[in-house]
Amino acid sequence: MHRISNRSKWLSVLIILFMVGVIFLGVTLTQNSKRWATLKLNNHLYVNGEFVSAGTIYDRQGKVLAETKNGKRMYSSDPTTRKSTLHAVGDSKGFIATGAHTAFKPQLIGYDYINGIYKLKKDGGEHDLTLTIDAALSNEALKALGKNKGTVGIINYKTGEILCMVSTPTFDPENPPYDLNLDETGKYEGIYINRFLSGVFTPGSTFKTVTTASVLENIQDIDDRSFDCRGRYTLHKGSYVNCNAVHGNVDFQRAFSRSCNTAYAGLAVELGNEQLTKTAEELYFNKRIYVNGIPVAKSKFDLSNAYPIDRAWAGIGQYTTLANPCHLCLIMSAIANNGTAVAPTIIKDSRAPKLQNLKMLDANVASTLDMMLRTNVIEFYKDRRLPDLLMAGKTGTAEVANDKPHSLFVGYSKRQDLPLAIVVVLQNEGVSGYASAVPVANQVLQFALSNKIS
Amino acid sequence: MRILNSLKWAPIMILITIFQIFSFSQIVLKKPENLTGILIIAGLFIFIEWFYLFLSTFLFPKSSNALECIAFFLTGISIVISASFSFGLLAKQFAAFIIGIIIYPILLKIMENPDKAEKLRIPFAIGTIITLIITLIFAKNINGAYNWIVIGPLSIQPAELIKVTFIFVGAASLDKIQQKKSLTLYILFSVTTIVLLFLMRDLGTALIFFFTFVVLAFLRSGDIRTIIFICLSAALGAALVVLVRSDYVMRRFAVYRHIWEYPHSGGYQQTRSLIYSASGGLLGLGIGNGKLRNIFAAAEDLIFALVCEEFGILIGFTILFCFVVIAIHSVRNANGARSSFYTIACCSAGFLLLFQVSLNVFGVTDLLPMTGVTLPFVSRGGSSTISCWGLLAFIKAADNRTWLRDISEIRKKMSNA
Repeated sequence: MHRISNRSKWLSVLIILFMVGVIFLGVTLTQNSKRWATLKLNNHLYVNGEFVSAGTIYDRQGKVLAETKNGKRMYSSDPTTRKSTLHAVGDSKGFIATGAHTAFKPQLIGYDYINGIYKLKKDGGEHDLTLTIDAALSNEALKALGKNKGTVGIINYKTGEILCMVSTPTFDPENPPYDLNLDETGKYEGIYINRFLSGVFTPGSTFKTVTTASVLENIQDIDDRSFDCRGRYTLHKGSYVNCNAVHGNVDFQRAFSRSCNTAYAGLAVELGNEQLTKTAEELYFNKRIYVNGIPVAKSKFDLSNAYPIDRAWAGIGQYTTLANPCHLCLIMSAIANNGTAVAPTIIKDSRAPKLQNLKMLDANVASTLDMMLRTNVIEFYKDRRLPDLLMAGKTGTAEVANDKPHSLFVGYSKRQDLPLAIVVVLQNEGVSGYASAVPVANQVLQFALSNKIS
Repeated sequence: MRILNSLKWAPIMILITIFQIFSFSQIVLKKPENLTGILIIAGLFIFIEWFYLFLSTFLFPKSSNALECIAFFLTGISIVISASFSFGLLAKQFAAFIIGIIIYPILLKIMENPDKAEKLRIPFAIGTIITLIITLIFAKNINGAYNWIVIGPLSIQPAELIKVTFIFVGAASLDKIQQKKSLTLYILFSVTTIVLLFLMRDLGTALIFFFTFVVLAFLRSGDIRTIIFICLSAALGAALVVLVRSDYVMRRFAVYRHIWEYPHSGGYQQTRSLIYSASGGLLGLGIGNGKLRNIFAAAEDLIFALVCEEFGILIGFTILFCFVVIAIHSVRNANGARSSFYTIACCSAGFLLLFQVSLNVFGVTDLLPMTGVTLPFVSRGGSSTISCWGLLAFIKAADNRTWLRDISEIRKKMSNA
């Protein structure tokens, strides 16, 4: 009898084992709660794979772009804003990989050890996010893009803030078109891609800015040169690059303004593969740029195994060259800002960690380029087509295989109260950067000017 | 003073009642169907708790009511969760509670005299085996196991009820230390029971019975070598079963510690349990606001995670703590018990409960392989609830205070001794 009673004490070991298990469970829960609770499998936060609960996303003026109300993810009350800021905010299914919903999920989903996801589920919690995007400006950009596929991006080159990144085609996340995932005509092609951050396009003549930078760095007597344009650059018989016009005798500045292929193909051939590649890479071609940790699509400039004629094409932004619109906009920012682009950001938060600025150009080269880009507008694109903006810039009409050319414009305002760099890409628009992209840039920047958005 | 002493359970019971009223009011606020029915049962449940405790205090003023308070707390959670599903489930769960609370004193009465009780071991043993054989023959295959008997509107899980008779027979047989024949018969009985459960493919329950058998054997022999021998031979036997029935057992073990790799198949219930437990935080999302309840067996096998999600992890861990208290009680009661029948029955019951809690809770949280057993008292289910009250009777019976009616009676017994 006594022995049995004593034995029963030994069973206390099992109680201790159980307690160890309970403590282990507690520790595992504490360590992993946040990760587990915010998984996509959680039907509190995701319904049918759609995101319903997160903090509110505001634009720079404090307008609501997306919020959680009564367990539903709601977007802006204005249908145009829903479309124009879709790619910045992101959709509810996470298809838009660079949207804030996906890219800044940890910042948007708050977990609280006391209440779990209770607050988050109810009203999105306290993890709100203010973007640098301006909803009204984005709406204007969407209007200016019209039916074109493409993008309009605007960066404040003093602060690096991205004020506008509209990408078309787009859709209303609260009323997605019924044929969104069924369409085969291609009208929604790349609809989930933010063309500003993730698209790459043949840059065409906008790339002449890069070639110009390389010339300024490497050819000392460029100001004394002149070029004779007969409408075509011929390397040797049967190997040539057509020009957009017969420019006759032009100096370097005029060749840039008129976008003379004859002059630029020749200069590219003269520079050689190494020097041109070196300048392009100093300007962040073939390099990764990040916007608050979101990787921007790499621009591509590759002259390995290139013949001189390939280099001639590359010098005018053709051949295999591809540029990302955000990157082009940053090149403009760097030129406007003494050769250094302030690190791009789309989060408006003074507490955010300081990001690395992008040193692209020598200050002297930047200042010469600045002057030349401004001269382009004064002499050729005309200030009356971009009134009061003090614009500097470069147009481009990029040839693409089996389709109509892209129309591009990159530039910036030199006004102290409007330190904005802009990129306009009209994909396969078919007319020209000069005729089509410049008016788009003007329309959007006039809106920024009159509404004092900068 | 004496009255106050006998009412020691009152403060804790007031807290439990407040908790239950709060829980029921959350359900009422959701305006469920048949609100009056739910309110009547809620009121009855709380009334029965207090009525039982007052009656017990009146009849046995020296008896400690700690175990009943814990059981009422745990049963209350299962009643509330059943109510949050539907009135029908609430009514069934309440009926099971009523049967449990009636069987509980009856078992105590049977065990009042251990010598008389031990005579019941033979009919109980035969009854156990016959019930299991009938189950094996007539059982319906529900979720891969043949352990349910359906009679009209009633579905019974005999394996749950047999836990009580298994311990009863074990404690009664092993008390007769001198009788070699009794020991042999008992081992035969145990092995038959466990094998029958294996044949029903009720792996979890078979494990629980095996564990209980090991505890009984340890208490009887006190020899660690015997225990190691039992475990080794069981492991060999289990390995054999796994080889024969590889598809069934191996599927469960394949996902163990790999649940996140199979979130849509084998790890479905475990991953959801962890996700939703974490979602609840310490204070929970509120009764009825959870998402785990939409998942299969949420109020049975996954009840711990359901409680964590809706009542909060704090309450979830309180439940675990309750079972620690029950186990501590059983060790303490066993130590002073006036017969080895009580000691053995009480320890076996207390640790059966603790082991079952481990299988359930650590199973759904992937610290152990998931075996699909219920969480005692808390899981919804009639047979399980009834058997839990039966097991509690063994622990209560070992407490000497249970049998004392008066101080004078103690003195009488002491002078007799």
